[in-house]
Amino acid sequence: MKFTRKLFTSTLALAALSTLLPAQAQDTVKVGVLHSLSGTMAISETSLRDVLLFTFDEINAKGGVLGKKIEPVVVDGASNWPLFAEKAKQLLEQDKVAVTFGCWTSVSRKSVLPVFESNKGLLFYPVQYEGEEMSPNIIYTAEAVGQQATPAVDYLLEKGYKKFYLLGSDYVYPQTTNLVLLEYLLSKGVPLENIGGGFKKDESGKIISAGKYTPFGHTDYQQIVSEIKQYAAGGDTCVVSTLNGDTNVPFFKEYAAAGLTAETCPVVSFSISEDEFRGLPAKQLVGQLGCWTYFQSIKSPANEKFIADFQAWLAKSDVPGIVKEGRVTCSPMVLSYVGVYLWKAAVEKAGTFEVEKVIAELEKGISFDGPGGTVTSQKNHHVTKNVFIGETKADGQFKILKTYDNVFGEPFLKGTFKSK
Amino acid sequence: MNKAWLHFVLIACVGCLGFARAQDAKSARQIIAEAAVLSDDSDSQVKLVQSLTGLGDPETEPLLLSWKEGGIYLVPGADGKKVAVTLAGDPDAAKKETAIRLDIKEPLKDAAGASVRVSPTSAELAETDSSIRRAMKAVTDLSKLAAPNAKDRLMAISQLGMERDVSKLPILEGRLKVETDGQVKRAVQEAIALTQLRSPDAAVRLLGCKALEEIHPLSAKDALVGIIRDSEKAGDKPLLEAAKKALSAVESHRTVVNFFGTIFRGFSLGSVLLVVAIGLAITFGLMGVINMAHGELIAVGAYTTYVVQCIFAEGLVLSPFGMQMSLPGMNTTGWVYEMYFVIALPMAFIMAALVGLALERGVIRFLYRRPLESLLATWGVSLVLQQIFRLVFGSNNVQVNSPSWLSDNWTINDVIFGWNRVFVIGFAVLIVIGTWALLSKTPLGLLIRAVMQNRNMAACLGVRTERVNMLTFGFGSGLAGLAGAFLSQIGNVGPSLGQSYIVDAFMTVVVGGVGSLIGTVASALGIGVIDQSLQQILGNPVLGKILVLGAIILFLQWRPAGLFATKTRSLES
Repeated sequence: MKFTRKLFTSTLALAALSTLLPAQAQDTVKVGVLHSLSGTMAISETSLRDVLLFTFDEINAKGGVLGKKIEPVVVDGASNWPLFAEKAKQLLEQDKVAVTFGCWTSVSRKSVLPVFESNKGLLFYPVQYEGEEMSPNIIYTAEAVGQQATPAVDYLLEKGYKKFYLLGSDYVYPQTTNLVLLEYLLSKGVPLENIGGGFKKDESGKIISAGKYTPFGHTDYQQIVSEIKQYAAGGDTCVVSTLNGDTNVPFFKEYAAAGLTAETCPVVSFSISEDEFRGLPAKQLVGQLGCWTYFQSIKSPANEKFIADFQAWLAKSDVPGIVKEGRVTCSPMVLSYVGVYLWKAAVEKAGTFEVEKVIAELEKGISFDGPGGTVTSQKNHHVTKNVFIGETKADGQFKILKTYDNVFGEPFLKGTFKSK
Repeated sequence: MNKAWLHFVLIACVGCLGFARAQDAKSARQIIAEAAVLSDDSDSQVKLVQSLTGLGDPETEPLLLSWKEGGIYLVPGADGKKVAVTLAGDPDAAKKETAIRLDIKEPLKDAAGASVRVSPTSAELAETDSSIRRAMKAVTDLSKLAAPNAKDRLMAISQLGMERDVSKLPILEGRLKVETDGQVKRAVQEAIALTQLRSPDAAVRLLGCKALEEIHPLSAKDALVGIIRDSEKAGDKPLLEAAKKALSAVESHRTVVNFFGTIFRGFSLGSVLLVVAIGLAITFGLMGVINMAHGELIAVGAYTTYVVQCIFAEGLVLSPFGMQMSLPGMNTTGWVYEMYFVIALPMAFIMAALVGLALERGVIRFLYRRPLESLLATWGVSLVLQQIFRLVFGSNNVQVNSPSWLSDNWTINDVIFGWNRVFVIGFAVLIVIGTWALLSKTPLGLLIRAVMQNRNMAACLGVRTERVNMLTFGFGSGLAGLAGAFLSQIGNVGPSLGQSYIVDAFMTVVVGGVGSLIGTVASALGIGVIDQSLQQILGNPVLGKILVLGAIILFLQWRPAGLFATKTRSLES
């Protein structure tokens, strides 16, 4: 008897809930988060999920977007590129998300690109990449080559370096970046023999690959370091590194053991941010250079507030398995954060969540004052932002050496520099 | 006598420069104080530091050193502007010290006239960056030309050589006359010759080329190529000839350097392979256990090194399975901290051996006669161990710092001998000798060999084969732990460390011949040298590795039992 009554009340409660739910759903807008939360890329991409959830909470606390609370739909790409496309499809067709924030590797972006284009979705992509792409359905808050590699080279040229050794991991981002850099260096009057690492040419003699490449997980850098040592013997030499992830550890250990230092031959790395630093031996990297559109060490009220709010959010977060100790902020995280606010501003200007109208607003140019300074969306789906050159310190932070303000994001750089 | 003369020359040179500036003279102290506060304008900082050159102020060097090492702080003065200060070293109860103004050496006063006290941990440090440190180095190097330590002199001279400033030729020539150390003398000759190439006088340039031909330094290539281009344009035949000769001397020297360098690098890579494979040569080669968890035993050694390092420093907080566990640190610094690796080696051996023993007792002893099952079971164990590493240490890689006695090098005739690499070669030799001695000179070794040759017969004769199996497996696992301790010095320490070496380890053992220690040694060194030579010749790290693997497959077709096949009369095999 008692039991049936209990059952009765709970059914009633359920019925009440189910009538309530649709009403509630109208007050939320679904937003997709598409990152690898397992597999090799999880180390880097989980941080982006964290910062996105933080941003949604921050916006929801202030009333949401167009009066609607953001309801995140988090899916795991599992470092598996075909799976990224499937998950993207699920987000767009089943969950009908208004916008998706996600992807880290270029190959994952390339695999979801057709899905977003055929479903007329909207993706915000936050990580430095090689350019040569402009999808009507993707907004690239990421650093284009002209917002990372070429300013870094400008800085080195300004400091009097004359020889450049190109080194990278063997995949599309380093290969393309180095080809653009080769053209850029030649256009700045650096002769071909002062660009090290070797060239590959096709039958017609055109250079199709510049620099030295090692596979992921390569451990033996003896030969390459001894080559750099000989190359740098004449002085005024620097290394431009697009080595990815943990191959930096054996490289920098060997580099230090060969007696090469930041004073004799500095290395500028495009893939080491504050977040990667957590797994690298700091001592061997001190004095080496980095170039990003954000550093945690930027001294501005906006950045200090961002860091403090993020840490406070982390401390009381109940996301399962979230890492709370030793967290830092880095450029891909801030570009994810900025992406959400750019989308929010565009939606509010358009007065609707409709993808086409939101993109039209973004193309007209929307500005947001982020932790790294003002960013402005451009007609070509890239973002104008400040670029910083920094030097690594023993505590894993960067000392900012130089700032280039409001650098335009241009994806198509290959072939635009004319050699002298 | 000679030295005194040189000092006189140097002081005279520097003194002349000093006098010329005497009117508007600021002391080094004032200039550095001025430079240190300009922390947002690194270009002016560099200019100020460069202006210290030739000032002859004895305070220059210690002050620059203190700046570089973080001894100068920026503290707001009475007017709110930042002032460069040093700390007096008189900590009070709140650990605050008196701030002494850098420029006038007096205590800094606040608006009320009281001296300012700051805490070294919270005050803002005057930072440096590499362009400032380069400028500092250029300033201090000039004064280091006469340093008593040959290494300091060498650094100073090579710096001057790179600058190639013709006005500094007399200083270098003066040095050449008094230099006694052979290596430094060569460096001075090199610096002089390189600088001579910049001379406006064609005869001096010719002299420089001739000298370079004789000493053929690797650093001369760029300069010589430039001279060849210029003299071709100018039609200066003798200079062109001399420069070409010098360049070919440099190139042939480079060939020699690369040859010996490649052999050394080959031996060092071979030694890494050997260290990784020798544990497997025992567990797989002698005992016949296909242990797929060998890589994780290596990782156990590497993580042990990490833990020992943390205990020598600030300690470590681990949160395995949701529990908080903190290991106290000893907060050692200096040479005591540097010795952590010496303690880490035996610890790594012990920890990996213990894990190996547990593995043997728990899994492998039931599977001695079933190699396929042991392959699957140990593979499962390897996955379990990897997850345990993730749970205990997190999925990020951990930082293991190399002690300074492993991160420098000897450069002999331009061939680099990295200390970590020399260490691994010595380490491999010791491990091989130790293993050989254990197997052939001790009673345990005799029992091991008896059990491995014929388990049943040995058991019949009263050998406790179970116990021998256990000890052998433990020893092989311990060797894997040693490998891990070493690998932490040259690469990553993370949950998947083992995965990246397991294939190499099996490859080395199989090529050498299963069951043969000497075969493992020969195959490791052979693979190492061939791999490095191919890399050198092809200029591509991937292609070399592919060719080596291809060659190994062909080789095993021809000799399936490996380099040194064990001959046995046992019917079992």
